[in-house]
Amino acid sequence: MIAALVVALLAATGASLALGAVKVPIAEVLDIILGKGGTGPNHQIVEALRLPRTVEALAVGAALGVAGAILQGALANPLASPDVIGVTGGAGFGAILILIAFPASVALVPVAALFFGLLAAALVFGFAWSGRNRGSTGKIVLAGIAMLSLFTAGTTGLLASFPERAPSALFFIAGGLTNAGWEGLKTTWPYFAAGGLLAAFLIRPLDRLALGDDVAASLGSRPQLIRLGAGVSAALLAAAAAAVAGLLGFLGLVVPHVVRMAGGTSNQAFVVPTSALGGAALLAAADTLARTVRAPIELPVGPFMVVLGVPVFLWLLRKAV
Amino acid sequence: MEGSDLTGVRATAAGAAGPAPLLTARDVEVTIDGTEILRGADLDLAAGELVAIVGPNGAGKSTLVRAVSGLQRPTAGVVHWSGRELRRMRGRELARARAFVPQRIPVPAGVSVKEAVTIGRSALLRPLGRMTRADRAGVDGAMERAGVTGFAERALTTLSGGELQRVQIAIGLAQEAPVLIADEPTSQLDLGAAIDVSGLLRELADSGLAVLLVVHDLALAAAAADRVVVVHDGRTEAGEPGEVFTPERLSRIWKADAHLTAEGGRTALHVAWIQSR
Repeated sequence: MIAALVVALLAATGASLALGAVKVPIAEVLDIILGKGGTGPNHQIVEALRLPRTVEALAVGAALGVAGAILQGALANPLASPDVIGVTGGAGFGAILILIAFPASVALVPVAALFFGLLAAALVFGFAWSGRNRGSTGKIVLAGIAMLSLFTAGTTGLLASFPERAPSALFFIAGGLTNAGWEGLKTTWPYFAAGGLLAAFLIRPLDRLALGDDVAASLGSRPQLIRLGAGVSAALLAAAAAAVAGLLGFLGLVVPHVVRMAGGTSNQAFVVPTSALGGAALLAAADTLARTVRAPIELPVGPFMVVLGVPVFLWLLRKAV
Repeated sequence: MEGSDLTGVRATAAGAAGPAPLLTARDVEVTIDGTEILRGADLDLAAGELVAIVGPNGAGKSTLVRAVSGLQRPTAGVVHWSGRELRRMRGRELARARAFVPQRIPVPAGVSVKEAVTIGRSALLRPLGRMTRADRAGVDGAMERAGVTGFAERALTTLSGGELQRVQIAIGLAQEAPVLIADEPTSQLDLGAAIDVSGLLRELADSGLAVLLVVHDLALAAAAADRVVVVHDGRTEAGEPGEVFTPERLSRIWKADAHLTAEGGRTALHVAWIQSR
């Protein structure tokens, strides 16, 4: 299954680089990437537009897949996704705040999405770690849902107050990649890297947590610390992803489930890396389709992916226990 | 003071010329949310012995084993594992000192018996460290000792209560700690499965492991244990089963009109279940 995913990933990456309003032969794409493609217009298109966009799709897809996988593991809850710890709601609010209230500073959208996404997660964990029964799954989930509601209300309030500016916000809410070059990744890569590294260290502790807090403690882990680490890692990954590509919540929820159902195991050493591969392949493929099926019009990749993904997901769900 | 008659018994048991103690706990106190659960509990354990922890509901049996295992922070008292103070122990060192087997684990979908036991073994690995051949042999050995090799590839979700309890013990054995602590492993099992699991724990003790067994069934405790620790009112009283389960104590602590008979490995608790009033 991992081999199949790697093939899918390479195919999606190749297609993403080659296809679009202008089709570039795959041999030429390879030449350009390897630095021997000359300086033609195709060279410009691949290097300045498609390569950054493809890398963004891969990074965002992988980040959301991993964020969903570790949150579902840490909270022992199949409904967990970056939405549940408030990140998505916070990031959406931050971006819409800039787009609606300070449209002149549109360059600040990624920074605001990142900042408010992490702020929302910090508030969730601050509340969940206070008082009795600190760090329990129930507290984290409830605090997260409360924070999601709060920020969503803020976002809706902003949109309702400035209806004439709402269209500019729609693309962010729908979720999608842009042709902005390397700008998005330039500010967010440390967050992707830190979140991903932390996730790698959480793989084994999360497996222990799957057998319950007591077994995890017997094995020398601290269950609350594992949940906190998973929350921090997922918040970094999801906030960075939202900063680059808007709100693509569906991906983080569904990819880990598909991986578990298709792989027949919930062993995190399999689920986490495979969710990264699957998320990256899915988003790169969906983005390529979204900008080629009705070219030169670009469909927003978020809704497009959901429409394609839900039937597959439901089909897998029917066969699952 | 209640139970002072038994301090002598405990002292003899702990001070006997046996192997060095793996666990010593003195004057352990635990207060949870303002409620005093333990107010001076003692516990000793040496290699090769099975110690049963008994007591009425809510007396603090589980709290005591959780406190000495490091799962519940004691408010006061001193706990030593092979001479090392519990408060200073972390992570892998703690995992190597003792294995704690909870009453019942959540059963995640998509995890096989062998995967679960492998997770137990992961306690001995460095972060990001890989399983060596020795680790894989350790997993197989733990499954063999707990008698779960026959269904190693089955999913946890398909196991019976007794099978799951054996798997939990296998997870603990994979830690290769000299002490195994089982919190009410037989409480939810039928008679046959309870005999099976307590037999397994006795075998493990006979092969050199130290076993702490929290148990409600006093007849089972009397048959399986070398020593019995009674937790009552936040304190402990300890001794050999024959000394501990006196009609006087059964009446005082459990409010039961009962007496225990033992003959070889067979024990029976004769209880006046229905009393004429």
